[in-house]
Amino acid sequence: MTFDFLDSFLITGLFSVVMVTGLALLLHLQLGLTRIANFGVVGFWGIGMYVFGVLYVKVDWSFGDPYQFLVCAAIATIASGLAGLLVGWLIADLDTDGVLVVTLGFATAVQLVATAQDDITGGARGMGGLDFPFDIGKVKDNELLWLGFTMAVVAGILFYVWRVHRSPYGRHLIAVGANERLARSLGKSTSRTKLWLFVIASAAMGLLGAMNGVMVRFLDIGNLGIDITLAAMAGLILGGTARVWGAVVGVFLTVGVFDIVIQSYLPLPREWYTQAIPVMREAIFGLTLIIVLLFRPYGILGDMRRDSLMRKIHGR
Amino acid sequence: MSEEALPAVLEVAGLRSGYHGVTVLKDLDFTVRNEIFTVLGANGAGKTTLLATLARLIPLTAGTIRFQGEDVSALAPYRTAARGIGYVPQESGTFADLTVLENLKIGGMIGQRSREERIAEVFDLFPVLRKLQAQTAGTLSGGESRMVACGRALMQDPKLLLLDEPTAGLSPLYVDLFFDKIKEIHETRGVAIVLAEQNATKALEVADRVMVLSLGQAFAAQDAAEVTTQQLKEGYRI
Repeated sequence: MTFDFLDSFLITGLFSVVMVTGLALLLHLQLGLTRIANFGVVGFWGIGMYVFGVLYVKVDWSFGDPYQFLVCAAIATIASGLAGLLVGWLIADLDTDGVLVVTLGFATAVQLVATAQDDITGGARGMGGLDFPFDIGKVKDNELLWLGFTMAVVAGILFYVWRVHRSPYGRHLIAVGANERLARSLGKSTSRTKLWLFVIASAAMGLLGAMNGVMVRFLDIGNLGIDITLAAMAGLILGGTARVWGAVVGVFLTVGVFDIVIQSYLPLPREWYTQAIPVMREAIFGLTLIIVLLFRPYGILGDMRRDSLMRKIHGR
Repeated sequence: MSEEALPAVLEVAGLRSGYHGVTVLKDLDFTVRNEIFTVLGANGAGKTTLLATLARLIPLTAGTIRFQGEDVSALAPYRTAARGIGYVPQESGTFADLTVLENLKIGGMIGQRSREERIAEVFDLFPVLRKLQAQTAGTLSGGESRMVACGRALMQDPKLLLLDEPTAGLSPLYVDLFFDKIKEIHETRGVAIVLAEQNATKALEVADRVMVLSLGQAFAAQDAAEVTTQQLKEGYRI
């Protein structure tokens, strides 16, 4: 089977869709089920990417790939999980406004630290030296295989989210999101449930960040802006925050349409790609959020359908 | 065994609590045994605050709450729930996005007995819920919703059930049904009940003892049969 129809632009576009879908699925657990508005997605993702990149490039490992990749990615995942533990603890008793401020502040802090610690991270100059943990020939083939690995990880995240919807833990998340005061009288700690969610979701975001580092092979603080959070949030809200497939459908309709259809297939002037398109992308995603929230607050797929899910499970 | 000889399920001493620095409950002292203990009072008397405080959802500013001999005054609400205090709030007692069955299952996250056994008991108590089990709680009527809330709390196998105005805003048919069920829960399951109510007439029919609450202060608890109209008038400030 040949993949000649996939040019480098298309592979990058698909990777972007898969990456943001993974983040939107994790955000679905936080925002859709538990009503935690995490605006710090890029912070956890960025920690994963930078911890992975710095360890991979700066540490003189006694073993090579793929073990080097596996060890660095594992440490990056744990680092993001620990950051999730800290942020989750900080927001445990905060209302929506407080959560928004803390998570946004956390993401900003990550970007500032990455910029300021330029002897470690490369700062504004960026840092190269990352590579695929394998080499099967051409760059395009390596990118394509890496896209496949990332799709497998995101499929794993989708399966986890799907399982959560059917589990007692998922029900507890929904209960906490719907009425935390009442949920506190159920006999299980709501703080611990939220904290565990934050640790797991942040760790997975960190793993995706590490995988992104491999794909771009260059650490750039420009990646730590709000756009990846905005893309995940716009996709999730467009598809439907409360539905598992909302994240998938929404991201395909936002990032997919923009990063694949518009960027790869529309005959746009070359200079637009460096200046106009990135700005337009953020503006369109922001506008999408406003329009969807005004006219279809539950997104394209609509609100949670627990009744049909239960009928499916119990056959009634 | 006389009522006084029954062991205390709940002992409250010098209880003060409120919201944002405003004291609502002022130095309450009472004991609940294995009985239906009714708290009567007008709007704003502090009934809801009292039950939420007993469920540990509102912090105490003074006093102690002892449950089955253990001081639970400083415990987190989920810990008191795990020890056997079930709580049914006046409103929003269900999780609207979850189905009836899921609401019951989430109530049964704790407890030793089989969850299926407990669900069957709740369906026996409120048969209408069996038919509605796949329906989301947010689509139920007020009366059905209260049944789910009550069933959810019973799934925790509580030793003490706190019911905050379970019949408020319900049709007379549901009011009668609920008072019958409250009596049934106490008699068949041996669960002590603290029932906050405005409907004094119906509440006195099922109560063993009554405490009238007025502006956060309590008139001494006494046998329901001995409550006089004059005492109720004073309590309700009529």
